Amino acid sequence: MHQRIQIRPPRIWTLQRRIVPTVFLFLGLALLIFALAAFASPAQAASTYQKDKPTNDFCLACHQQEGVDVKLGSESLPVTINPTEFGLSVHSEEGIACVDCHKDISDYPHPTVKAKSKHDFSSTMVNTCKECHADQFTKVQDSVHQKAMEAGKTNAPLCTDCHNPHTQARLIGKESGKLTIAARRHIAETCAQCHKETYEQFKKSVHGAALADGNTDVPTCTDCHGVHNIQDPTAASFHNNTPALCAKCHTDKKIMDKYGISTNVLNSYVADFHGTTVTLFQKEFPGQETNKAVCTDCHGVHDISKVDNPNTGIALRENLLVKCQRCHPDATANFSAAWMSHYEPSPQHYAIVYYVNLFYKFFIPAVLGGMIFFILTDIYRRTINRMKKGAKHS
Amino acid sequence: MNTVTQTYLRFPIARRIEHWIMMLSFTLLGLTGIPQKFSTSNISISIIQGLGGIEVLRTIHHTAAVVLLLGSAWHLLVMGYSVFVLRDKMSMLPSIQDAKDGLQALAYNIGFVKTYPQMGRYTFEEKMEYWAFVWGTAVMTMTGFLMWNPITATRYLPGEFVPAAKAAHGGEAVLAVLAIIIWHMYGVHIKRQNKAMFNGTQTEQEMLHEHPLELADIKAGVADRRPDAATLRKRQMIYYPIAAILTIAMLGGIYGFVNAEQTALKTIPPISQSVEATATAAP
Repeated sequence: MHQRIQIRPPRIWTLQRRIVPTVFLFLGLALLIFALAAFASPAQAASTYQKDKPTNDFCLACHQQEGVDVKLGSESLPVTINPTEFGLSVHSEEGIACVDCHKDISDYPHPTVKAKSKHDFSSTMVNTCKECHADQFTKVQDSVHQKAMEAGKTNAPLCTDCHNPHTQARLIGKESGKLTIAARRHIAETCAQCHKETYEQFKKSVHGAALADGNTDVPTCTDCHGVHNIQDPTAASFHNNTPALCAKCHTDKKIMDKYGISTNVLNSYVADFHGTTVTLFQKEFPGQETNKAVCTDCHGVHDISKVDNPNTGIALRENLLVKCQRCHPDATANFSAAWMSHYEPSPQHYAIVYYVNLFYKFFIPAVLGGMIFFILTDIYRRTINRMKKGAKHS
Repeated sequence: MNTVTQTYLRFPIARRIEHWIMMLSFTLLGLTGIPQKFSTSNISISIIQGLGGIEVLRTIHHTAAVVLLLGSAWHLLVMGYSVFVLRDKMSMLPSIQDAKDGLQALAYNIGFVKTYPQMGRYTFEEKMEYWAFVWGTAVMTMTGFLMWNPITATRYLPGEFVPAAKAAHGGEAVLAVLAIIIWHMYGVHIKRQNKAMFNGTQTEQEMLHEHPLELADIKAGVADRRPDAATLRKRQMIYYPIAAILTIAMLGGIYGFVNAEQTALKTIPPISQSVEATATAAP
């Protein structure tokens, strides 16, 4: 009943064994011919660009060679890309291809670069940045750097001057959504490329020194100046806004308690002449100039030191007096004590002020209370008299 | 003539003008001063903005202060004339009788005594207000000087006096403004409609109610007995030179008050040494 069936490969299989390698051979040849043709005619390659854009490895094959540069007018632009550095960049991480930014390049030889300088070249490239970073690009249009550029300053920075697109590491942590610690530490150095002198001052300041130690509480350049829409720090609006700017951190108990710094600094400032005026200017005419002192006029701008620093600290009267005399040239030693140094008057500090306030705290209600009491009795008597008179008449 | 139509001159035109000038400067001082004391409140901010900003506000305040000082100087000269030349009764001087009158008025209001005190040219209420104004003006002038001229002041005084002056100036201001609103408004405009500072006169009925002792003096012919012409002339000859010297001294004082120092530079100093950015190469 049970017949053994012999298993044999079907005929077609044996046929395939012979055909497949042949097909591959033809395909390979075709590809070779196509590739040769592509190299020979760029126009033909461009038409197939979308399908076959060159990979980064393809570009890097040439561009990792050291010492390659392009002449732009009298300047020369190095075009060497370190594959390791590029590999660590956020653009590589996100899988951005060289040709995503270098759109005009798709094969070799590359089209001639028309730019006459490196700045010229960069300024044509920033439009590419805009495609992915539109927000940042728009903000920059509002910035002091953009204004400098429009005023013809060719050393004003473009996107690529702060963010080298080939090496720029990730700035915003993927999970935290905040600036990474590494990025924060790097900011001041980025600005220092052009603002060297300011950076040297900042490095020695109380904020700068702590920043270098990895402290994340202290501000770096961008915390005060903003990031892309950096405003003119010599403008009246910046001056008038300074107390609010410093107060952002200096009224935050969570931060200040760590260092034993009072958070009453803003209130005590606003309560005094300078602070009252500046606050009112900031609220009413933010763009109008006033020469009344703000935080930075006494504490310094980039070179802020601790107030008890034995050399520069303004807790020392003679150091403070120098600051006073910048606007009050005739001021003498006593004058500096007219400023209460952010103290809340108390029996220990500024006792006279404390007792004057205390006196009026009781004197005003006592006098006015007495007056009101007398007036109330007077109203009472007049009402009674009128009622009696009315009763008599009727 | 009956008690309603018969009027008595209470304040001649010069005194009324004086009052109006002081009232105007006081109002301006309060209006421009109180918002400075409470500068963070929204009402203050609106007032300050409405008047053209804090610098304009301070200028108005300073100008009104000068008017108040000139008014005070004028008042001193007039008082000098009244005391030394006319030898008027110093009816504004406070006395024990005023304290007694005040207590009696209070006792009457509460119902402890049957009669309201009879008072002379100035009632205890008016004297209280007058001397409060004198005290207030003195405090405000001294503390105002310290704030207006802090560099001059701290040549002789500790620096702490300047914020102390500011504290006192503000406290006294609140007291003065509220006292005027409460005491003056009630006593002069609500309790009775006293028009003496408008038309200068009071009717016999009003005099009978408010200043019966003065009315009695007027009727008896013992109020305001003027010296004879020769004596008047003699005293004027003595007083006028003194008044002239006083005038020069007081005007000099006010000039010094305003111009003792230039406290701060008017120019706007550079915020920091401007550091030029240096160019670097693009990557």
